[in-house]
Amino acid sequence: MEQSVQYIYWIQHGVPLGYLIGWYLWLISLAEGTHIVAHLSWLYYRSEDYRPLEKVGTFQPFIILALVPLFLIADLGHPERFYTMFYNWHWTSPVAYGVYIITFCMISYAIHSYYLFRPELIIRARQGGAWSGLYRLLLPGKTEDGDRNEILARQRRRERAWAGVSLAFSFLGLIYLGILLSSFKGRVMWSSSMMVFIFGAVGITGGSAFLILLSNLKNLLSKTADEALRPQQRYLADFGVILKYSLLAQAAVWFVYLVLLQYTGTGGRLASYLFMEGPRSFQFWFWQVAVGLALPFLLTLYRGLREKPLIASLAAVAALAGTLSGIINIFMGGQSLPMTNFRWEHLAPEPGKMIFGIVTMAVMFLVFLATYRILPYENAEVSEGGA
Amino acid sequence: MPKPEKPLDRRGFLRKAGASLSVLGAGVVLFQAPTLAGAAGRPKKYGMVIDCNRCTDCQGCTIACISENNVPDGHYRSWVKCIEKGEYPNLSTHFLPRLCNNCEDAPCLNLCPTGATYRTPQDGVVHVNRDVCVGCRICVEACPYGSRFVNPLTNTADKCDFCYHRITRGLEPACVDACTGRARIFGDLNDPQSPVSVYMADKSTQRLRADLDTKPKVHYVHADEAIMGPDYNLLLAGR
Repeated sequence: MEQSVQYIYWIQHGVPLGYLIGWYLWLISLAEGTHIVAHLSWLYYRSEDYRPLEKVGTFQPFIILALVPLFLIADLGHPERFYTMFYNWHWTSPVAYGVYIITFCMISYAIHSYYLFRPELIIRARQGGAWSGLYRLLLPGKTEDGDRNEILARQRRRERAWAGVSLAFSFLGLIYLGILLSSFKGRVMWSSSMMVFIFGAVGITGGSAFLILLSNLKNLLSKTADEALRPQQRYLADFGVILKYSLLAQAAVWFVYLVLLQYTGTGGRLASYLFMEGPRSFQFWFWQVAVGLALPFLLTLYRGLREKPLIASLAAVAALAGTLSGIINIFMGGQSLPMTNFRWEHLAPEPGKMIFGIVTMAVMFLVFLATYRILPYENAEVSEGGA
Repeated sequence: MPKPEKPLDRRGFLRKAGASLSVLGAGVVLFQAPTLAGAAGRPKKYGMVIDCNRCTDCQGCTIACISENNVPDGHYRSWVKCIEKGEYPNLSTHFLPRLCNNCEDAPCLNLCPTGATYRTPQDGVVHVNRDVCVGCRICVEACPYGSRFVNPLTNTADKCDFCYHRITRGLEPACVDACTGRARIFGDLNDPQSPVSVYMADKSTQRLRADLDTKPKVHYVHADEAIMGPDYNLLLAGR
């Protein structure tokens, strides 16, 4: 018979990595997923009127990746030593690779965005106007001659090459996130091959939702001409289909993960208990399953619903809330499993870091919206014709 | 006009083959020499054995460690876990002195992104270089034993290094010195004459989380199964 055990003295270790790092992982998966969905869709459509959405799907992830290191830096014990990660390189650590992957990812997004915007920037710079000075600044060297099609033809090869490079880095980024968490072999919730699939599914879901939401916001804020709006709305309805199926894929991945946990000893069963009935059950059942999976699935189930920008945006917000909740659940939940005792580990309150994170995310969103007013997202003929 | 090539006769072949084998053999010997020399004078492997039957939970080790290493309040490099098993009158109390295991395959070392966590090759002790550590807490996360923490005074990772400043001067770690029951025995695990090897020679020992294959260098004798790991059953039972 098993004897009862009473704990007299033990140490609580707490949760070492807080919400900033959880948000960091989510934002990176969101940026990578957005670019993957946007660029793979371009490969499918290969149509000029899809180009504005490809710009959204490349430039907005760049903004995320440019600002997201702030989360990491703010969380370090020595923020001023952040740069040492680049040259004190330790080859057995996934983070040592991740620092480079995310940096190169950001650079490739920036260059790809540059080529995507370049024809419109050249034409707008020639035309003059409120932002033409800025456009000239963004175009190094002499402004090119010729119309949009000629400029496009000249840069086509470079543009697609950088699109391919950035796509490769996007996949690498998602794989890196999965490998990063699964490399902690002492953490039973993370030490699973399913981590790569979880980040993949979360990335694609978040990416398609983010594209729907941001493109609808773009159309709302940047006075898109009707002839450009119609095909874009068709594409956005198609993103709704991607969102629907990625939600299904995400549900399947989580299901397999939870089943696998059941067969990973007592620790695995405790990890699954943590989601189902334990301290994260509300976040799991309400935010992750009901709001994040079921609601957007229902809202994108029928074509009529997907085609309505408001409903599609609502579905996108719900799916984004679900993916954020999923990453936070697995990240914070994985750390709340005790290492040496019998009680859940808890995060010590970090009000300063929380405020910093929320302010940075708000700034990020404002930058998204500001770029819609400043940068030429629409194709030049359309905006010229519409003008 | 090119010079006609002389056909190789048996004598020539044997001479060339012999010379080649000699060069090859000399190369192998030279290449192996440092390894062979190393095997003769093996590097040290500092480790500890803790006899839980000798521990009285006096917390002398905890206090000695704090004062020796200036460990900040609320953090521990060494501590003693204590449980009670059974129901009155059939009760038993168990203690488990804890510290960094200085694992041979340390997850904290493998996952440290800057290499701030390193092992001294001459004795196998795992250290933190405070000048390189960025305080990312990956190592704290990676340690399956909860042996690491971020020192709020230095904002870098901190852990037990077997009182390296003492053992390199021939002294014992502070916790070993302060142990009233002589439960902690420290020494070179590679030296069969060291106190730790002598003590372990006729006893079966246990190591924490052996399933993870981190090869901890802290061994336990007479440790109760219930105290050795996290207790997930209690949490699963919803208590």
